[in-house]
Amino acid sequence: MSDEIKIQLRTADQTRLAELDLDAASTAGDIIQAAVDNWSLPGDTDYTLVNTTTGRALVPGEALSKSVRPGDLIEVQPVLVAG
Amino acid sequence: MDRIGTARYQRHELIDWFSQQRLADSRVAVIGAGAIGNEVIKNLVLLGTGAVDVFDFDRVEVHNLTRSIFLREEDVGSNKADCVARRAAEVDPNVSLRAFAGHFRDRLSLAMLERYDCVISAVDNFEARIQLSQMCRLTAVDLVNAAIDSRWITVECFPFGSADGSACYECNLPESAYQKVAARYSCGGLRRRAQAERRVPTTAITASIAGALAVSNALRLGDAADPRARRIFADSIGGASRVTSLDRRAGCPGCGTSASPPQVLRTRNRWLSRHLSGEFEPSLQQHLVRLSDALITSYACRSCGPVPGAERYLRRRAADFDDSIAVCPQCSQNAIVIEVRDVFRLGELGEMFGPEAVPAKYAIVEVGERSFCFDLEEDAGP
Repeated sequence: MSDEIKIQLRTADQTRLAELDLDAASTAGDIIQAAVDNWSLPGDTDYTLVNTTTGRALVPGEALSKSVRPGDLIEVQPVLVAG
Repeated sequence: MDRIGTARYQRHELIDWFSQQRLADSRVAVIGAGAIGNEVIKNLVLLGTGAVDVFDFDRVEVHNLTRSIFLREEDVGSNKADCVARRAAEVDPNVSLRAFAGHFRDRLSLAMLERYDCVISAVDNFEARIQLSQMCRLTAVDLVNAAIDSRWITVECFPFGSADGSACYECNLPESAYQKVAARYSCGGLRRRAQAERRVPTTAITASIAGALAVSNALRLGDAADPRARRIFADSIGGASRVTSLDRRAGCPGCGTSASPPQVLRTRNRWLSRHLSGEFEPSLQQHLVRLSDALITSYACRSCGPVPGAERYLRRRAADFDDSIAVCPQCSQNAIVIEVRDVFRLGELGEMFGPEAVPAKYAIVEVGERSFCFDLEEDAGP
């Protein structure tokens, strides 16, 4: 069984899209950091990941293999805090 | 006058899925009277919600006027909750509106919180959102959490009161949010005096969408009895929105490992005297107690040693002070070492406070498989 999962990752505004082979043990935090670094997303914003295929949020710190299947489309969403 | 029978609500009564009586019976707390808070309150009063309580410690600044329908130039410098509640009351005299000027942590007891059908969080920082989530989970009151920036809208529903085992706000909060909370405090756990907060630009557009979605979900208009903890994420420019299920996190900092919240016991800060009088078993003395508020437990100068007057800081809430008290009054150096703790043994608390009140909102004690929340506050009224 492969230890890698192929997913699609996009930003909420859908201006960025990438196909990635990720270690199944990766966490949401790892993916967010890679997205911030590679796509130069604003560093002072917090982000969360949503699996648009299943309609569930990825729980922080949880291994990707628990909530993502090959081919799933994952969206990076900003965590908003202003009221 | 029968308010439901008045012509005011005539159009609502034409909607077959809309219960004006249910709205009239609803009690909602709105925490934060800023951009989203104004829109939330506007919708609540236009709909004829029975009772709306508004909480905010902040004062009106001129830049608030571009996003706050109930604020005027003459309000600059006044408390936001007072101004918003006063003007909102003009919209519908049938709606009971009350303003609570001050921080919700100080104004809103757990007993008071339990009387609401729903709480809408329209605050502007992670710390307050976390605190509200914890309080609503403890009291099993539904929470709707609304937040915005200049383009996006998030409205999250945590059905603590209407569904078992709901995820809490912290279950899906990234670690980076905790780092922002921590940045507001010094190493000693005191609030930093000059911590520059990031200013997030927002507009009346995103605020109004957030206010509409928050109220619709809080009042369950259309009987949207979706039992899931969920997040609505909407784009004010493109118009797209997405609903996402929020799952519980194992070992979540907010709700821990148990799907059920602790049982709340109304002790009104008489719990320690009961402990001292021997009402509790002696073995309970070693049980760990987690207080809702961290307390200062030691205060001494690294250079001078004991500091005269240190007593006025000890056993007080760390949140009552900022890091200016880390400067030693004797040597004028930033050399005070302050110990701040929120976890104590029950016997230790008994020795510290005796029959006196512990300055905290609540205390959580785990006994075997069960956990209990001692509500330490007096009931603040209806």
